[in-house]
Amino acid sequence: MFTQRMVYCILPPYLLREIAQRGSPAQRASAQRAIIAAEQVRSQRRTIQANSAPMEAVSAAGKQRYVYDAKQSSVLPGILVRKEGAPAVSDPAVNEAYDGSGTTYDLYYAIYGRNSLDNNGLKLDSSVHYQKGYDNAFWDGQQMVYGDGDEDLPAPERLFNRFTIAIDVIGHELTHGVTQFAANLDYSGQPGALNESISDVFGSLVKQYQLKQTAGQADWLIGQGLFTSNVKGVALRSMKAPGTAYDDPVLGKDPQPGNMKDYVNTVEDNGGVHINSGIPNHAFYVTSINIGGYAWDKAGLIWYKTLTEKLGNQSNFQNAADLTYAAAGELFGTNSLEQNAVKAGWAEVGIIIGGQTQEGCFKATLRKLGLSGLLKG
Amino acid sequence: MRISYERSGGFMGRKLNFSVDLEELPNDQAETLNRLLQQADFFNLPKDLISRPVPDEFNYIITVETATQSHRVRVSDSSMTDPLRPLLDDLFQRARTGKG
Ligand SMILES: [Zn+2]
Repeated sequence: MFTQRMVYCILPPYLLREIAQRGSPAQRASAQRAIIAAEQVRSQRRTIQANSAPMEAVSAAGKQRYVYDAKQSSVLPGILVRKEGAPAVSDPAVNEAYDGSGTTYDLYYAIYGRNSLDNNGLKLDSSVHYQKGYDNAFWDGQQMVYGDGDEDLPAPERLFNRFTIAIDVIGHELTHGVTQFAANLDYSGQPGALNESISDVFGSLVKQYQLKQTAGQADWLIGQGLFTSNVKGVALRSMKAPGTAYDDPVLGKDPQPGNMKDYVNTVEDNGGVHINSGIPNHAFYVTSINIGGYAWDKAGLIWYKTLTEKLGNQSNFQNAADLTYAAAGELFGTNSLEQNAVKAGWAEVGIIIGGQTQEGCFKATLRKLGLSGLLKG
Repeated sequence: MRISYERSGGFMGRKLNFSVDLEELPNDQAETLNRLLQQADFFNLPKDLISRPVPDEFNYIITVETATQSHRVRVSDSSMTDPLRPLLDDLFQRARTGKG
């Protein structure tokens, strides 16, 4: 097993330079050492395996977690029940929110050099036990909010467990915070589905990072463990096989497409943001499998760089494809294995790098019928 | 009077729809719903209470139709008002159990 001190990644030069410029004194010193080491090794055309010393220096700095109990009400944040450094309490939801936000912080900090959601040490507030029978979790722009599922129904009728039970859900919610401070993607239509997908991507990476799983070993499910045994399904979504996570008499069938040809046009759910996210989700999965190893190392880094440096609030799937391809080129070289993996990942979901933004089937049909005016206003 | 409840969005993006005719309900339940509508001042609420989209929260559309008027209100978890919440809670319990 790995311990916290070990290094799972090869920090790319650009990221080391970032840390060297913007990090804490300890981070800057270790980044400088790593840059020198990287340059020495690069000249021999070998990959570096950083030693454990730099990582030790950057561990646990700036992590500020606060967990509140909303006591089944809608009043946020509720009563403070655990803060940074305090021991575990008897309530599992509190500890899950605390530990999950900690692992999420660690992934962003250790691998991408990001100090919390705003890259400036923002405190991480979580409220558990929100409302009664609340089968959901959300990021309200300032904090994470988790419901207890169907805790108030008789056991045979329950469909959902508490939402802190799945660490990828916690990583998903926190990543909405990262996105808000980075690309700030509109929460509607394709930019919204991209926003959702980025939360699934890094939510899944948080889980893989915690379990130390390679891309090949990971389950690529979102929300595994959230369904009770009354539900016919394994999770809420599958990045590996969108549309296959559940098929249940009460909940219906997982509606996610995994290809542009199946893109769902709808006005509900802000334009199907939780449905069409299956398309970029699957592109990330294929990219990760094609690269191999730990998905957070390279595929995750490409997506992170794209999210924080390239995407804008109106970016659509085609933009994401083109910009991840560009980021992969900058990080790993033109025509590198990694860049080709990105290209193949998007091709698998029907998006060609450098292609035209496709108008949806719905829009195309309206245009052919001379009814494009309906889309305006 | 007919009340429709449509919930969308949420982490899972699953729809939950439900509607009820007050005339078909036992008297006490119909009275409760009438009281909750009055408490919310429903017919005077703005059509859309959502000022900004919040990732993963639920969105709700409540439609009330009577012989003389019809009103539709869009609201979400974070934009919910205290007078409106008890109505939503009541409708949610009916919707999730499928009991009218
Ligand atoms: Zn989300």
